[in-house]
Amino acid sequence: MDLENEKIGPAFSAPDSYFKDTESRLLQRLGIQKELLENQAAETVETPITIAAAVTPLDTLGVQKRARKQDPITAKSQGINKEVEAVGSVVIPPLTFTTNENPEWVNFGAISEEVSGNGDQIKVVSYGDLLSNTESNDAEAPSLNQENITPEIAEETVLEAVNLDQPITTVETPATELTQIETPASELELPAEIPAEVSTIEPSVIVHEVPESVGLDELESYISANVQPTSTSLEPLVSNEVEETTFVNPAKQVESPSPRIAEEKPISLEAPATAFAPIAGRQHESATPGWLGVAAALAAIVAAYFIWTAIQPPKVDTEQVALQQEEATVPEAPLDEQTPTDTIPDGLQLVEPLIMEEIPKYKEPNVYTITDAEEMPARTKRALQDLEDNGLATFDMEDELFEELDFESL
Amino acid sequence: MSHESTKPSIMSNAQRLSNCTEDELTAELLRDGMSSALFVELVSRYQKLVYYHCRNLLVSHDDADDAVQNAFIKIWQNAQQFKGESQLKTWVYRIATNESINLIRKRKPSIDFDEAQPEMAEMISEDLYLSGDDIALKLQKALCFLPFKQKLVFTLRYFEGLSYADIALLTSTSEGALKASYHHALKKLEIYLNVLR
Repeated sequence: MDLENEKIGPAFSAPDSYFKDTESRLLQRLGIQKELLENQAAETVETPITIAAAVTPLDTLGVQKRARKQDPITAKSQGINKEVEAVGSVVIPPLTFTTNENPEWVNFGAISEEVSGNGDQIKVVSYGDLLSNTESNDAEAPSLNQENITPEIAEETVLEAVNLDQPITTVETPATELTQIETPASELELPAEIPAEVSTIEPSVIVHEVPESVGLDELESYISANVQPTSTSLEPLVSNEVEETTFVNPAKQVESPSPRIAEEKPISLEAPATAFAPIAGRQHESATPGWLGVAAALAAIVAAYFIWTAIQPPKVDTEQVALQQEEATVPEAPLDEQTPTDTIPDGLQLVEPLIMEEIPKYKEPNVYTITDAEEMPARTKRALQDLEDNGLATFDMEDELFEELDFESL
Repeated sequence: MSHESTKPSIMSNAQRLSNCTEDELTAELLRDGMSSALFVELVSRYQKLVYYHCRNLLVSHDDADDAVQNAFIKIWQNAQQFKGESQLKTWVYRIATNESINLIRKRKPSIDFDEAQPEMAEMISEDLYLSGDDIALKLQKALCFLPFKQKLVFTLRYFEGLSYADIALLTSTSEGALKASYHHALKKLEIYLNVLR
């Protein structure tokens, strides 16, 4: 591979969202607010432009644009702008507004003066009055307020409703609502008969006593049989299942007309008495012949003999012992000589001719090719690094590159 | 009428910096110092470069992220010390490199930059934000087997495209030594890639 001619891209690719996040974190860390910065930048740019407009030189060649005007009363002169004066006085037109609403809908003229003059009759109750009332008589205060205010409010609502030409039924509605306020609070309490009505409701839940060991199928069939006793299609199914599980047959209960009777009979989990009945055709064992016992005893004796001979220690032959001792003193050559361990692990296969063909420039004898380096362990990598460092070349740089870099020096 | 004339200039303050060339930014930094707007522009302009540079050196995403943050904070704090003897980009690269080296030293105080850090290669395939290109990953793994000096020179030259003059200014190294180092790194990487293929 020629790296100089074959460009390889970077191995890392971070998304833009990460960079935005990093930028916001960095600016937040330094206390810089980007939005405020943009606004401040706008203000700082706007200021010099206004100054530049004011500093523009006067046009003295044409008509003089600026002059002074003396006030006849104070005799003080004030600067005037002739261009502004030439425009003349500005007349602001009267404010008018238009509306899409039909003025007939709000007929202000229908309000009579009598109604508008009834303001004296209305008793205005301030907070101070309320406070004084509560101090003088706490019990009378709510009743007085209700008596004084509620009829007037009712009258006002009636009058307003008339003015708005609304139907009478809508007028009566708030009046009745306001009269409800006068009713004492004790009457608004809920009657105590409600719990009695609730208690009269009969419970419709029927508790079925069923053992825990009963399966779901049996339970469903049992319940269905009890709930629908008249359905005759379930009867054989229920009886069959109960017979298989050796329970007390609830088919009788299903056949019974009322389900209550079936509940009273508990399901028995005990097996019937006939479950362990003796097998009728059992055969008796026949008597063994006597010669078989004799043969077994002989076989045991023979086996004991062989075991005894095997247990006995071997006979010591002195001559053989002497020979063995002599042989033991002679040093024996090791059968398998230990091969020198290679520093390169087993995973590396050294194929020297291959590397020589590929890289003719590096012809050191200790250059090797690794054919299965995809899953190279760290130990192998270190060995490879040693191999490279010792075998190929040295890469020493003369300059002290990695001394502490002083970025201020630039 | 005057309002219409000021409107484009209001909007162009942030755009003006973004449209500035690097030399103009350098001149503004030397003339007016580091303003907040200029710093935001530097961050938006050099953030990716600094991140990928630190990531190539440090391999780990978290370390690169820390290095980027520290580098820009130092840029903000030491902007008045920029003398304009190099390009702004070179100065930023130098601070980022310095922060990466500091981070490596913090992680491993007894590190020798003349040696490789092969243990970095193990975390490449498990880290975040990989491009998915196999040959690029192999090259990045092979970079971990280079001594850090050569890795830095190769990264700046090959990935970042800096000239030898800029790298020499950045690393305070002679151009001849840099060329030799880059050549050695290149040949060594080719061997590694042939082996890893």
